[in-house]
Amino acid sequence: MTPPATHRGHPRAHSPPPIGPDNMPLSMPQIAVNQLSKSFKVAEREGGFMPAVRSVFRRKYKQVQAVDAVSFTVEPAEIVGFLGPNGAGKTTTLKMLSGLLHPTGGTATVLGHTPWRREAAYLQRISMLMGQRSQLAWDLPAMDSFMVHAAVYRIPAAQYKSTLDELVALLELEPVLKKQVRTLSLGERMKCEICVSLLHRPSVLFLDEPTIGVDITMQARIREFIRAYNREHGATIILTSHYMADVTALCKRIIVIDHGRILFDGELERLSDRLAPFKVIKIDLSADVTNYDFAARGEVLSSTGRKVELRVPKGSAAAVTTRLLSDLPVLDLTIEDPPIEDVIGRAFLDKSAAGSAPAASPSNSDTVAAGAGGRT
Amino acid sequence: MIRALRLLSLYIRVSVQNLAAYRFDLIIRTIMSFVHISAELVGIWTIFHNTTNIRGWTAWHFLVLAGVYRMVAGGIRMFIVPNVRKLMEDIRNGTLDFVLLKPVNAQFLVSIREFVVWRITDVVLGLAVSLFGCWKLTNTIPLQATASFFVLMLAACVILYSLWLSLGVLCFWFVRIDNIEMVFWNVFEAGRYPIVIYPPWVRNMLTYVIPLAFITTIPAGALIGDDQSLILGRTAPLIAIGVAAVSFAAATWFFNFGIRRYSGASA
Amino acid sequence: MTHVLRAFGAFLRVGIGTMIQYRGEILLWAIWGLVNPAVLYALWSAAAQTHENGEVAGYGRGEFAAYFFMMMIVGHMTTAWDTYEMGYLIRSGTMSPKLLRPVLPIWEALASNLAYKLVTLVFVVPMWILFALIVRPAFHGAPWQVALGVVSVLLAGAMNFVIGYCVALIAFWSPKLDATGEVFFGVGMFFGGRFSPLAALPPLLGSIASLLPFRWMFAFPADLTIGRINHPYEAFAGLAMQTAWLVIGIVAFRLIWRSAVKRYTAVSG
Repeated sequence: MTPPATHRGHPRAHSPPPIGPDNMPLSMPQIAVNQLSKSFKVAEREGGFMPAVRSVFRRKYKQVQAVDAVSFTVEPAEIVGFLGPNGAGKTTTLKMLSGLLHPTGGTATVLGHTPWRREAAYLQRISMLMGQRSQLAWDLPAMDSFMVHAAVYRIPAAQYKSTLDELVALLELEPVLKKQVRTLSLGERMKCEICVSLLHRPSVLFLDEPTIGVDITMQARIREFIRAYNREHGATIILTSHYMADVTALCKRIIVIDHGRILFDGELERLSDRLAPFKVIKIDLSADVTNYDFAARGEVLSSTGRKVELRVPKGSAAAVTTRLLSDLPVLDLTIEDPPIEDVIGRAFLDKSAAGSAPAASPSNSDTVAAGAGGRT
Repeated sequence: MIRALRLLSLYIRVSVQNLAAYRFDLIIRTIMSFVHISAELVGIWTIFHNTTNIRGWTAWHFLVLAGVYRMVAGGIRMFIVPNVRKLMEDIRNGTLDFVLLKPVNAQFLVSIREFVVWRITDVVLGLAVSLFGCWKLTNTIPLQATASFFVLMLAACVILYSLWLSLGVLCFWFVRIDNIEMVFWNVFEAGRYPIVIYPPWVRNMLTYVIPLAFITTIPAGALIGDDQSLILGRTAPLIAIGVAAVSFAAATWFFNFGIRRYSGASA
Repeated sequence: MTHVLRAFGAFLRVGIGTMIQYRGEILLWAIWGLVNPAVLYALWSAAAQTHENGEVAGYGRGEFAAYFFMMMIVGHMTTAWDTYEMGYLIRSGTMSPKLLRPVLPIWEALASNLAYKLVTLVFVVPMWILFALIVRPAFHGAPWQVALGVVSVLLAGAMNFVIGYCVALIAFWSPKLDATGEVFFGVGMFFGGRFSPLAALPPLLGSIASLLPFRWMFAFPADLTIGRINHPYEAFAGLAMQTAWLVIGIVAFRLIWRSAVKRYTAVSG
């Protein structure tokens, strides 16, 4: 059975993917989202005294479309990254998939269940970690929270022990187990949060900003752990993050969301191709140069002393480079892809400049919204 | 059902285990328990320095009520108030989501998570004082009265749970008012003394509109057992069960309504 | 001194703004001050009715109504919460920035206190009037007694604040002891005449009460205003006692505060 052609071949789990009570054939996506929408009614209030008084008598409401007809599918054991600025709709989408929110339109099926029905059998198989919030009891040692979690999820004693031992070893939690959660550092606490969310061996894991606020070393360790866990147990993971490093390290496939719409759904490498087909040329000059019109060659990103950075369309990168090499005394020259943050940042800028655009069509292939990017 | 009990006992066990970390607190609070009950006794002493009985209720009657009042106050603070406060905190911080993610009934989970063990002193002291008052009155503790008392206290627990849960649910709409519980304590204050001290219109309000009487005077009257203390007569336990059932149903409906609204389900 | 006054003015403005913002919460809190006296009125008037002359300790139903009506007012005017809060302020570290200011924290506490009383007045005054209309208190106070009564209520407020603040300073030595507020309040309840007029106390309690400052904070202003203190000499003697206790409180504060800060900087800082 071959996966659909448009999907990149990602490492299959070494152990067979978890199969629930509903034996799902491998060809059916584990998560299927179709035209999912969520709008909120938000009370509007201007600042100031008179508007405050007025609002006591008459409330003005505004409809906010947090998620706008979003569609995508996810195969078992995939790690998908959700990228987007604050308020893009990432967390709202995740909340709908974990059953916390009811959508205002569209459908979604995860593991064969409709999430917002909140069936116990469904909740037993998923897990959600919210980096900004803690689910551990503050005044108790982490161990107690684990124990309670095991009881709530009805984890048999033997399985609990083996899972706990494995997670404690992988996450290096031994020294912090008996300490009150309140006294732990953020990194230690985050590791405990990760541990508790995996105790019941969920098939699907929703990670909402799992490394937020954590120091660089710990971020790397957490990323490595997630990667290892996905390899070992084949859990499907949807991850949102502000840190590009999280996404580039873990996700082959990313979905870019802004203003509730999908701008891009596909492989990370293709993202820069589609959204910003540019290259950055960095020149290190061996002598001072004046009167050279860099702007004619390309967009000047920076020019300090003898170092200049130019942004040029991919197609003309070679030609421009040749020109620069012949015109100038070059000590060193590199041609790079623009940093991924840049790519995405510009995508959002262009999106808002280009006005509204139709959402990505529901398919598994790499897609790009018509309005994004602007240039092809 | 067994699983529910197992979960509940786990939460209690965890709470007891962690008492050791707060030994100083424990000592102080136990002392304060004694101080509170002593204050009630001083109050009764003062009252009956000036009279021998108020509308049929003597010092010993008052003692029984004071004991019941303390038992109820302690009981509420042992397992109802902490859970409702946590619910309100969760609503405000957004951590209620974690409750909703669990494969357990949300209302159940929210009602058993917190447990303040040391409040048991209030319950024990209150019971001791009540029984002492009873003994002084009748020299025996008649069985029927005890059974009736037990049923009424159980009903009182359910009524109180329903009341408090509803207060907590209000937090979905009035997010900031977390001292909404003051509404309860203010009304509860009126139950400190037998409702016979109030004019009839207040008495009726406290029985039928706000079931305060069912939480304080009626159970006390049942324990005493003599005819004039029995408010609503011998059918009180049945009426109390009825009131308890209705309030529980109402509170459960209200909680689920709040959750549905919170998760944006169309009503 | 002027810079203290300016700081105080700023604290007061901020305090009032905060109280208005949290009006929902503090109104709920203020209701207790109405409920408790009302319940006690019901209790004591029922007790009074058990006697032929309809009186207990010289108070009839109408007099009890007047007494507990005054208790609502006095209770409100003497509200102070430092005994409850001090431990928390120290444990949470919120006290540190306050100690760094060139102005004593007590000024901010005072401003907050006044702000609360002013803002809640809008709500409680109609409630007082409503209570009076329902229970029909029997006032015997002559104009001069009421006038002095107003003064004594204000003095009582100052007394309870200062003495309470001194007691609250215990928290500097044992910040985890959260019981100070309750004990202070409870003692004031009985020995200050809030639970019952002092005349109704059993003799033992009555003698203890005469030694403590609480009677001057609650019972005295109430009795004076409703006309139970008939000799001008007694009235002025009472005002003098209030002032004396207030002065003692201020002096005690100055002494204890210095040690408290020394203790704080030695232990937590």
